[in-house]
Amino acid sequence: MRLRRLVARGFRNLADLDRELPPGGVALLGANAQGKTNLLEAVYYPVLFRSLRGAPDQEVARFEGPGFTVEAEVEAGPTATVAASYAAAGRRKRISVDGEEPARLADAVGAWLAVSFLPDDVALATGNAAVRRAYLDRLLALADRRYLRALSHYRAALAQRNSALRQGRSEVASAFDAPLAQAGAEIVAARERWTGEAAERFTAEFECLGEGAGTRLHYRCGEGLGQAESWRPALAEAMARDLARGMTSVGPHRDDLVLELGGKPLREFGSNGQQRAAAVALKLIELASLRAARGTEPALLLDDVFAAFDRDRQARLARRLLAGPERQVFLTAPRADELPPGLDLPVWRVENGRVIA
Amino acid sequence: MSAIEALITELARLPGIGRKTAQRLTFHLLQQPPEQAGRLASALVAVSERVRPCEQCGNLTEEQPCAICRDPRRDPALLCVVEDASAVAVVDRSTDFRGRYHVLGGRLSPLDGIGPESLRLDPLVARVRGGEVREVILATNPSMEGEVTATYIQQLLAGLNVRVTRLARGLPMGGDLEYVDGVTLAHALVARQEVS
Repeated sequence: MRLRRLVARGFRNLADLDRELPPGGVALLGANAQGKTNLLEAVYYPVLFRSLRGAPDQEVARFEGPGFTVEAEVEAGPTATVAASYAAAGRRKRISVDGEEPARLADAVGAWLAVSFLPDDVALATGNAAVRRAYLDRLLALADRRYLRALSHYRAALAQRNSALRQGRSEVASAFDAPLAQAGAEIVAARERWTGEAAERFTAEFECLGEGAGTRLHYRCGEGLGQAESWRPALAEAMARDLARGMTSVGPHRDDLVLELGGKPLREFGSNGQQRAAAVALKLIELASLRAARGTEPALLLDDVFAAFDRDRQARLARRLLAGPERQVFLTAPRADELPPGLDLPVWRVENGRVIA
Repeated sequence: MSAIEALITELARLPGIGRKTAQRLTFHLLQQPPEQAGRLASALVAVSERVRPCEQCGNLTEEQPCAICRDPRRDPALLCVVEDASAVAVVDRSTDFRGRYHVLGGRLSPLDGIGPESLRLDPLVARVRGGEVREVILATNPSMEGEVTATYIQQLLAGLNVRVTRLARGLPMGGDLEYVDGVTLAHALVARQEVS
């Protein structure tokens, strides 16, 4: 899948932009705070219709501006044009796919596919479980629309159930057990299935990045929660504790994608290099999983990720990340000499929010 | 506050009406003959004074009990449970249903502070205990909260010697499969029926 044309208006500090994009992608060069990452953010916005940095829409809109529009013309996917616009007045977001507004946001998610890799993504290895759950949710939602649907049902049921628990109403909380169990079991089953398939690959990618052997990836969750029938006894058993805490303690919102090295948690016992390699490995698996699930190559967005590696590791990483003739790559770096060796991409300079090809 | 400002403020409180629309409606009324505004005002006063929930079913009515509860041709053995009074009109207009109704006055939603005590559940149990009702049809909305409310009621009525049914979910009539949303299609597939 390739981005053929990008339109961005009122987006962060970027000057209004309407550009054709090279089929292989582009390297964005420029000093800090010129808008390189903002451009990557604009490219990614129509994937999930939210900021890849997790910023609220009002922050994505140009400061004191009326709002923003992003339009992605996509080639080789099932759709041609994915657009989103956000009006600061009334904080309303409109989304369209080929000019038509979908009934649900979920119906538009994944029409344009990309995987982003930011410096902060090392938190996949060093951060808490919430970071890895967000990784799983994003990946699986883009791989399969049913997952996204289950996730939004689950969150809605969880919010209602927790609210009833905070009110001390166990019988009302239990009334939400059925939708919670149904959506929750779907989520756990999908995450377990994915981890089962990704575990071997994780070990291989990690080794391939030259940081040694002995890593392990597994999914930690409540016993049997991949099946809806197991939920009722688990929720009933936790009820007294949940009432006291005012929150549901059982379910995929508490699970973790555990990364281990020699049987010990990587986040505590891994070196910086090993943690970075683990994050890279997860990103490579994200690419591969989306390609397998959707039958098309997602674009790859790399924000200044090479600077953190030495020359030798850069070359190895570049070989892994930039491989594949089908892959469109967007990457940023402050200067040309910080680009990985052997990279053959057209260069665009970004200065003060403007793109100079 | 001026009279104009007061009216705009009141209109803007209504659902689906923002401040701009409220202004437009206000200036429209001011351009009409005074009798028209008078008719609107007395209609508003009349509904707020005369319309009350039916003591039996909770439907909105000017007389107690409401016309549906009074109608002797209606089958008292069939009771259709809906969330709001507006649903009574919808079901009654578009279907052959000729039983009676029970309006809950909402659906379970702890986030909105709506628990079982906020719904007309005790009167429902009382009606079923009365013995005349043989089937309770749960016609709450097919939203998550509507489903949860239906399940809650089903458990409430368990052991009361009454048949409890739920509206079927599936494909809309006269539609095109291509335009049916995924959730509905998935439900329709699960609830598929033998062609006879």
